[in-house]
Amino acid sequence: MIQVKNLTKEFGRIDNGGGVLALSDIDFQVRDNEFVTVIGPSGCGKTTLLRIIAGLIPYQHGEVSIDSHPVVGPGPERAVVFQNFALLPWTDVLGNVTFGLDVRGATKSDSQAKAKELIKLVGLEGFEQRLPKELSGGMQQRVGLARALAVSPRILLMDEPFGALDEQTRRLLQEQLLQLWERERKTVVFITHSMEEAVMLGDRVMLMTPRPGKVKEMIDIPLKRPRPPDIEKSPAFVEIKEYLWENLRAMQTHQS
Amino acid sequence: MKTLARDWGPRLAVLATAVALWEYFLSRSQNFLLPTFAHIATGLFHLIFLEPRFWEALYISNQALIFGYAVAVVIGIPLGLMAARLPWMDRLLNPYFAVLLVMPVAPLIPIVIIALGLGLAARVFIVVSFALVFITINTRAGVRSIEPTLIEMAKSFGATESQIWRRIIVPGALPAIFVGLRIGLGRAITGMVMVELILVASGLGRLLLEFSGRMQSDMVFATVLAVIIEALALLSVMQILERKIAPWAPDISIG
Repeated sequence: MIQVKNLTKEFGRIDNGGGVLALSDIDFQVRDNEFVTVIGPSGCGKTTLLRIIAGLIPYQHGEVSIDSHPVVGPGPERAVVFQNFALLPWTDVLGNVTFGLDVRGATKSDSQAKAKELIKLVGLEGFEQRLPKELSGGMQQRVGLARALAVSPRILLMDEPFGALDEQTRRLLQEQLLQLWERERKTVVFITHSMEEAVMLGDRVMLMTPRPGKVKEMIDIPLKRPRPPDIEKSPAFVEIKEYLWENLRAMQTHQS
Repeated sequence: MKTLARDWGPRLAVLATAVALWEYFLSRSQNFLLPTFAHIATGLFHLIFLEPRFWEALYISNQALIFGYAVAVVIGIPLGLMAARLPWMDRLLNPYFAVLLVMPVAPLIPIVIIALGLGLAARVFIVVSFALVFITINTRAGVRSIEPTLIEMAKSFGATESQIWRRIIVPGALPAIFVGLRIGLGRAITGMVMVELILVASGLGRLLLEFSGRMQSDMVFATVLAVIIEALALLSVMQILERKIAPWAPDISIG
């Protein structure tokens, strides 16, 4: 379980007048095997929040813990999928997928076997020797996903993973991600700026407001799983999406 | 094979045009000291196959080149890596990099010779000061060009600082390091000839001075041509190395 209590994050020093309050008084939990999507306008600190849970940046006040252990840095139970894929351009698909395993000290044969299994799982069999620049954006992010899954994390932290992809590719990857998740039901925190994506994937949506970033509301998504691709036509889906849009539109007009 | 023909057809045409123009203006010029292309070619042949002093001179000059270049590489690359990763180091060194970049080295050669004497040490020092800063700033630029998310990604998997260096920073900076190595090599060769011409009469520089003293302009050109050939050969070797070590690098061919 991921537990976030009274989390506040400042960049720079506020008392000097030069800082920015990125996150203020964030309070929420993610249960084991739960898929939580996080949505909010730009500047709401959703990516900052994810990076704090990942242990990549420090925070000043409050508590972030995983199974009651405070987060002080990255840990083996977590893996991150990045928006811009963050693939190593100098090594092939296999080398990228084994990266996390290699860093964590797996033997070469173990990490290669595991990586091949995951390359197959994300549908990239036959592309093991390709360099990232030879792949489409969708394929690159599947490599990113395989790399994260290869270290067998219990928690998957996804930072707008499909944000850089075109609409059609994104839809396909969403469906694939849902299928993958049905098999293993990892705990997932998924940052997005797409309302459809937030509703389609999540068990709950966390709606955030900007400047400073705060949790406005946690919304349950009572859609049955496994979710079929045409779920977005269901009345419940449309209703939650409309509700999100009303809120997000209010925040946008408030700003501009 | 096809690209070879495509590239080299026009290149040889440019050479032929230049040679033709050269010969044409010579035939109209009263200046009998300017050598014809044929004379230069014969001179080069003579130099390489019939002049034992050429090989001796090449050997002497290359000592300074090899030692100086090796020192420049061994100091220059780590310096660039550190400047890129340690902000205090960069703040400290930045003005000196700027000075070294714009400073004309040639006028300082006499001072170096006063300090280090007329031997190999002075020549090595000059070669180092010609090449070092170009290797360093290219290395630094290479490290800076690495996407910060790659380092963050490595950290997210729990990579240690040394793993980040080995797996992200060094491979990420390698293409730019090779650019620096190539520019540095060109500079080192310039430094090698320059110091021999200006004060320490030895090696190829001494040969050049002798030839020009005797008005053997064809031999002067031939010697310069020999230096160019050596430089191109070294650059090609480096390019082959680069393709072996960093095959993902974009092809920036200058050799």
